Amino acid sequence: MSTNTGPALAHRTVSSIRAAREVSPNSPHTPIRSLSSGQISSPSSLRADDDVLVIELGCRRLRVGFAGDPVPKRIVSFEGKQARRAGDFRAWEAGYEDDWRKRASGQAWGWEQQLWQLDVRGQDLGLVGDKIERGLREALVKYLLIDSKPRKMVLVLPPAIQIPILSSVLDTLFNRFGTPTISLVSSPVMTAFAAGVRSALVVDIGWHETVITAVCEYREVHTWRTIRAGKLLIEKTKNFLVEAIEGRPTPEGEDEQAPDDVVRFEECEEVATRILWCKKAHNPPSQEFPEGLPTLHEQDESEPVDPAEDTTPTRIHLTSCNPPRTLLIPFSRLSEPCETTFFETRYSPACFDDHEFPLHLLVYRSLLQLPLDVRAMCMSRVIFTGGCSAIPGLKGRIFDEVSLLAQERGWDPIRGKGVEAYKKNPKLQRTNTPPKQVNTDGSSTSIPVVAQQQQQQTPTITETTPAGGTTISDTSSPPPTAVINPADVPRQPDQVEDHIRQEKGYKPPIRGILRAIDSMGPWCGASLASQLKIPALAVVEKDLWAQQGVNGASKPSEIDVQAIQKSQRQSMGAGGLMRGSQMSSWTLGVWSTV
Amino acid sequence: MASFTPYAYIQCPCVDSVPGSRSPDGASTPTSHSSPEDDERDFDPRSPRSNYSLYPIEYMLYCEDCHTVRCERCVTEEVVTLYCPSCLFEVGNSSVKTEGNRCTRSCFQCPICIGPLSVQSLESTPAAPEPSLLSADHATATGPAGPWILCCSYCNWNSSEIGVKFDKPQGIFAQLSKLRSGYDNHHSRYTSSGDGDTYPTKRDADGEPGSTKARFASLKSFYQTQMSNENPNSGLGSTMDYGYGSPGALSRIMSLYSGNTLSSAKPKSKPTIMREADTTKEGLFPAKLDDTSVMSGLRSAGYDGTATRAQVNVQVEEGARFATDLWPIPYVLRTKRTKRCPSCRHILSKPEAKVSNTRWRMRLIAGNYIPSITIKPLIPVGAPGGPTTHLLTPVKPVQYLLTFKNPIFETIKVTLATPAVTPGRFASKVTLLCPQFQIGANSDDYNLDEVLKDRDKDPQRKRSDTTGQQVEAGKEWDSGRNWVSVVVEVVPSSIQIEPKPTILKKLGEVDDLGPLREDEDIVEIPIFVHLEWEASADQVTGKDREDKETKEKKELAYWCALGIGRISPE
Ligand SMILES: [Zn+2]
Ligand SMILES: [Zn+2]
Ligand SMILES: [Zn+2]
Ligand SMILES: [Zn+2]
Repeated sequence: MSTNTGPALAHRTVSSIRAAREVSPNSPHTPIRSLSSGQISSPSSLRADDDVLVIELGCRRLRVGFAGDPVPKRIVSFEGKQARRAGDFRAWEAGYEDDWRKRASGQAWGWEQQLWQLDVRGQDLGLVGDKIERGLREALVKYLLIDSKPRKMVLVLPPAIQIPILSSVLDTLFNRFGTPTISLVSSPVMTAFAAGVRSALVVDIGWHETVITAVCEYREVHTWRTIRAGKLLIEKTKNFLVEAIEGRPTPEGEDEQAPDDVVRFEECEEVATRILWCKKAHNPPSQEFPEGLPTLHEQDESEPVDPAEDTTPTRIHLTSCNPPRTLLIPFSRLSEPCETTFFETRYSPACFDDHEFPLHLLVYRSLLQLPLDVRAMCMSRVIFTGGCSAIPGLKGRIFDEVSLLAQERGWDPIRGKGVEAYKKNPKLQRTNTPPKQVNTDGSSTSIPVVAQQQQQQTPTITETTPAGGTTISDTSSPPPTAVINPADVPRQPDQVEDHIRQEKGYKPPIRGILRAIDSMGPWCGASLASQLKIPALAVVEKDLWAQQGVNGASKPSEIDVQAIQKSQRQSMGAGGLMRGSQMSSWTLGVWSTV
Repeated sequence: MASFTPYAYIQCPCVDSVPGSRSPDGASTPTSHSSPEDDERDFDPRSPRSNYSLYPIEYMLYCEDCHTVRCERCVTEEVVTLYCPSCLFEVGNSSVKTEGNRCTRSCFQCPICIGPLSVQSLESTPAAPEPSLLSADHATATGPAGPWILCCSYCNWNSSEIGVKFDKPQGIFAQLSKLRSGYDNHHSRYTSSGDGDTYPTKRDADGEPGSTKARFASLKSFYQTQMSNENPNSGLGSTMDYGYGSPGALSRIMSLYSGNTLSSAKPKSKPTIMREADTTKEGLFPAKLDDTSVMSGLRSAGYDGTATRAQVNVQVEEGARFATDLWPIPYVLRTKRTKRCPSCRHILSKPEAKVSNTRWRMRLIAGNYIPSITIKPLIPVGAPGGPTTHLLTPVKPVQYLLTFKNPIFETIKVTLATPAVTPGRFASKVTLLCPQFQIGANSDDYNLDEVLKDRDKDPQRKRSDTTGQQVEAGKEWDSGRNWVSVVVEVVPSSIQIEPKPTILKKLGEVDDLGPLREDEDIVEIPIFVHLEWEASADQVTGKDREDKETKEKKELAYWCALGIGRISPE
């Protein structure tokens, strides 16, 4: 209030600035429309044209930055403080943190920290928009330091995001930030792009779910999901800590939920991200299996005790329990929450529902379900991403377990000899049983198949692909090895490939061996792709969105082939289309089918 | 908890203009004393969404042309000045794009406690921790010799703990960036250790491209090369030459490996395949699956040796795990901003451009245009016949005074509306005794007698002698030259959590028997305020009003949330 200059002064200043009025093309009584469409000439407008904002949408955080930057300028996380009213500073008062039980009471555990729930029903979608708006505005004002001139945006979407949430996000970006166009890109595809590859098996160990996406030639081919992810890990950590606090072990195998009011969500997450680790596979893959072995190479001599045997107490000071206390937990036991969350090796695979498949089984199963040549590419490009992939040992463990499964159950030979084997005995390919459809396994039909236009180009694959689709549900009785086919199937001779072979420095792509590669992450991929002017899966324009909303988007299947052919050139993949200027319809890319 | 300050929040009318919230016409205007059942659009200040649209009046601006309030969500902003909050050095707008959003001089925050870091000579530190909080660029040149370190005077952290020392006391940012890229090359979590490298291509001898920046650059140049190979005439290496419509580049990067796409005929005629990155030089990195070293780090550092999430979140780059991975944080620059009305483009707020000047060249704050609302109990706590506690007793009626003060030089006609009961689980009854009244104009041509007379009537001074006054429906409680007090009666609900009697339930309604939520015990009254006044069209103020040529009727309506008090649990 002290800075107030009073209305009289204000009037004088207004009249001196009045000239600005002519610039405005807007009628003064339509506030929001004009919020975005008007042009202001300001010093910062000089660079506004080339500023494209890249926003990675996640359930726990938003990554926000400029296209062309290697890292986002700001990572917005959602928490209680963010949800308070303007001017409510209680969060900064002493004693606020101690009151967490009161604030958390009556709310689902971790409710405040996530943008949306897995089950979109009954959710206040407007609130999702409000949270994004506040977080994004803060990021733009305080970290990207830009004015409110409308800017193009690239939105990196998690696979299979629910349409109501996407719709709410687009509403917010168009109406509150006035962005003229939003390009939608797929997180797994961008993950692959940021790893330098065109195909990959992207294992995104995220918040609500771990989503495995097979990406082939920059296209999402298929996704698999399991709830074994961050949220479950925090819950298991809570159980683990409550057990340690109360000093009573939960009986083996019992899935009893600890009460929510003993340790705070934030503190469980703190423990989970800082000190939890993941054990190695029980019986590591054997030596005759050199490709997937990185964990075996380094037995550090200075490390006398294996971490799994290390019972040295680790001090963990907890402040949110009453009274605050310091736990002494043997280091070896700190691997337990990961074990129960991601692997659950106590049970046989048959016990698991589809939505709660252990990670290693799901990775193996997803590879099995892929057409052979797609599998050959994907298995050599396994990418672990998502928040939980940072847990020490987890990536290596999953990789080793998958190697083991492959060793035990097949897709032999996996050492890249498939090509030779096939060439020597092409009959092997033909005499096998016809391909088992992926969706004969009842479960898989519920998984959204995101490869709509894929069918047109898969015939060649299905022709040459024999029984590859052995599903994991058969694993109780492993198929006889004779039936198992090479993972690696040569492609048909191809002029295109011949042509590339002649290029300087050509090396055949690595296929058919299990290999994990590192990605710089989806945000980075989108930033790079946008800077290189690579078109997105779908581009939504403000005006069309305002007129039609989400219902205006055509399902890709409704668009005739002519249109697809026209726009193919401009699309990131056949699955998603870009709204070309010659087309009257537009789509939400692969997301419109979910 | 003992004291509770009543409050008034305003909901900015811009909530209505966004799809997905309430309708943009005035449909949300309830008639006086309408019950929430009658109008679904009634405003519920308890809903989580309302936290995003309610503002104290001090946070709001006002557009004189559109006659409406503006919140942070409905103004457009322009950057006037960019500066470092630590050294107050002004930064050019264009350099943000090239240099980033942080101070590139010597201003850093402590990675442990985010306190300011100062540059000190390594030798002098143990003896004299001089808290020179200002930028190190002002550090004395005549003082002790290097090497230099960054020190925190709050938690005593210093940069030698992570092995960082500087040759010069100036230009720390540049020195640190250099050190950091070198550090990342040797310790990076992105580069794999030599033995574990199962990857056929070994890293290049000339430097390990481990840092995020270097990886990004190598990946980018790889893609650029691949794209430009297709069309060498269009300018090698320059991505800007490839628009969306450049078929060569696009089909090259997009096309299918086997070429049997829907539009297979065309791509096949050309070598359209872009290969994948193949070496670390091209940006392909094997995953680091072996975390043995991280694990032994965890074992030796323990929980306390790891970085807290809060510390990790304020780092410039992601991925810190141990306290020793934390780097000094260069200060994020700040902006001074001009705010404009989005519809008429008029400036609502404009700061002085100079960094050191914290004044405003102009600022149209809402408090100068719309009536302020203050709330207090009719009979103060502790007064005879008044309540003995700040808590509200369930079921016991209590009266509060709402005082509206008019800041403008016109008479304002005020119409209030409120639902008969507050929304939410604990419905308190609300009765506005005087929903319609006029507040006299403010004036600057004070007459001293009037001021004195007015001060006698000031609500603050009246409280003791008004206790005998009768509260009457339809009548103002009290008024002065530019203020009016009206009474609102509240019958607080009990905050016992119990099932609703079946008779009061709507069909299919399920009891919410969850525990008491935060602030659910506060009686918060949604109140719809409708203002009408006349304004001269050409914005003349004060004495010129005599002319009276062009008076226009103006109106403004908005919801408020009035926090009255907490209900006692018993
Ligand atoms: Zn507003
Ligand atoms: Zn500075
Ligand atoms: Zn410090
Ligand atoms: Zn205006």
